[in-house]
Amino acid sequence: MNSVCGRIRNLDPRTKLVLLILANLMLFFHVAVSTQAVMVVLFLLPLVAAGRWRMALKFAVVYAVLTALGFLDPEFLGMPWLHVVSALAVGANMMLPCFITGAYAFSTTSPSAFICAMRRIHMPEAVVIPCVVVIRFFPTVAQDYRQIRAAMALRGIASGGWGMLRHPAQSLEYILIPLLMNATNVAQDLSVAALTKGLGRAGAHTSRTRIHMTPIDWLTIVVCTVPLALDIAGVI
Amino acid sequence: MNNDDPTIRSQHVEFTYDGAVEPAVHDTSLAVEPGECVVLCGASGCGKTTYTRIINALVPSFFHGAFSGRQYTCGLDTAGISIDQLTPLVGSVFQNPKTQYFNANTTDELAFPAENMGYTPEEINRRIGEVCERFGIAHLMDRSIFRLSGGQKQRIAMAAAVVLSPKLVVLDEPTSNLDAAAIADMRQMIEELKAQGMTVVIAEHRLAWLNGVADRYVVFDGGRIVQDYAAEEFLSLGAGCIAAMGLRALDLEPYRAKIRLLDQPVESSDAVVRTRGLRIGYRGREAFARPVPDMAFHAGQIVGVMGGNGCGKSTLVRTLTGLIEPLAGAVELHGKPAKPHDLTRAGFMVMQDVNYQLFSDGVRDELLIGLDDTNPQIVDQANKVLASLDLAPFAERHPMSLSGGQKQRVAIASALMSGKEFIVLDEPTSGLDRFHMEQVGRLLRQLADQGKAIAVVTHDEELAAGWCDRIINLERSL
Repeated sequence: MNSVCGRIRNLDPRTKLVLLILANLMLFFHVAVSTQAVMVVLFLLPLVAAGRWRMALKFAVVYAVLTALGFLDPEFLGMPWLHVVSALAVGANMMLPCFITGAYAFSTTSPSAFICAMRRIHMPEAVVIPCVVVIRFFPTVAQDYRQIRAAMALRGIASGGWGMLRHPAQSLEYILIPLLMNATNVAQDLSVAALTKGLGRAGAHTSRTRIHMTPIDWLTIVVCTVPLALDIAGVI
Repeated sequence: MNNDDPTIRSQHVEFTYDGAVEPAVHDTSLAVEPGECVVLCGASGCGKTTYTRIINALVPSFFHGAFSGRQYTCGLDTAGISIDQLTPLVGSVFQNPKTQYFNANTTDELAFPAENMGYTPEEINRRIGEVCERFGIAHLMDRSIFRLSGGQKQRIAMAAAVVLSPKLVVLDEPTSNLDAAAIADMRQMIEELKAQGMTVVIAEHRLAWLNGVADRYVVFDGGRIVQDYAAEEFLSLGAGCIAAMGLRALDLEPYRAKIRLLDQPVESSDAVVRTRGLRIGYRGREAFARPVPDMAFHAGQIVGVMGGNGCGKSTLVRTLTGLIEPLAGAVELHGKPAKPHDLTRAGFMVMQDVNYQLFSDGVRDELLIGLDDTNPQIVDQANKVLASLDLAPFAERHPMSLSGGQKQRVAIASALMSGKEFIVLDEPTSGLDRFHMEQVGRLLRQLADQGKAIAVVTHDEELAAGWCDRIINLERSL
């Protein structure tokens, strides 16, 4: 029952990969603002469908704010320093589609489905394995981050919402050092576990996870490709 | 390989990790017969973990260094093969339940080795069904591994290790993070493997749970095998003899009896931290809530907080140190209701994984974070704190270059430096041998004698019985 629902509301990993590539092409081709807006809305729909509407809402708000900042006219307002702000906003906005599709791919794909998809498209193992390790790694980083913030609070280091903002560089160092120290340990443990279970084994690997492209997958790919293609062709 | 050949045959194996001066395992020879269950024991750093890595061929192909001698595992010379060739023959289980599963879903995790072997989906599902039935873990299937308890995770790790029906299962300190109930489950699983005729090798500090399962005990010291006992012989050794070898107790019953005696409520005033009508838990997606009986922590006392995995011990101490807000009721500091913020300022917690709480590139600097390091009085005080915890020789070292116990002491030193009066330790002795466990016990006593109120969350009966003044069993007082 669960898996049936999951299949309907969750896209095939290969479709997610296509979305990621489309988002990167947008960045590459400097698409028009209108195309960008359409694409962002399209990219947010699968997130909503996967039940991540809170995440989708956050992205939507960030996108709206950044777009508004990008439209500011500093000369008209008589505040030339705003140029910096609007330039940064436009830059961040261009990267946002990549973040959205990336967050979607990472938060809704299980490692097993991902391995299965990568092998289906005949990706070399040297690419598959590091990608899977990264996917497996993300949740541990989130957990580690919470632990480190708790440890910082106990030490009275940059605690509270403002603490981080007052000394951003130092706070970053305090977070990054323990995070990286642990990351090396975790990476070693994971590698050892995966190796003994034959992840690197030569020869055919199989999968009990079934993935297939549904009409919805194809529809998603077509609908998301069209605006970008029209933009690149200069129609929009 | 003939059926009566030893499953493991080591001939003068020796291994030195890259960058190490001394070999971790010295000129070691051992033979383990098919179907035997062998326990490798000995103090931390005695070489037993490295020896398990030699057996499952992680040494020398994953852990690099100088390897010599001959190692035959299931008839294969490990020097001439890749680890993958051992996948169907050897199952491995490791110490940390959190970092040894690769998939997010339990069923996927069990399928993983079989998928790598290229079995058909039907064959994979058949094997998963078989393992589930054998170990009674069908109820754990198709769940997110992230949400399982440590004990459940370790059962999944065991199941994943045997899904290919290997000849040999190698376990490296599989119980160091587990409570008594989860350890009993592990024991049952090992018995099941033995009944199947599998050879089992377990490197372990905690020995009591293996009574009656193990056939043989091999004692390591300084990278060498110093004793090789048959089970009856080993179990008949006196408690003093076991302790003299630096090993953990073989019989926990006396410790458990002492713990039951210590589990008494106290009537007294002037507690440092006290709770009234407290209800702890989380809201939201991982909602969890429970009431806790009123409790008090006094200066100079060590209180053990015990109870099975998942009964709320961590949530309790996080509430007591103000890291999360209570759902209801109050925590008082010196008799006055305290906000979480005040509790975080007055309390400190040494986390199970202390690596998260060391932030500097020097031990003394670690103590001086947030303080004025140009003030000679403050530096002088830091030096005194370091000396009191035997850390003076390491003042200039990088904290990450220290041993686990030394890191714990650095974290505690930082707490003493900022005048904390309520110190919580979360599982400070998991994975420690007797000597280091007793060292932690003495440290707790020293802190209490300095007038601190100490709470220690622990599954370790030997620590609790030996060093705590009082026990709060959260499971019993539900």
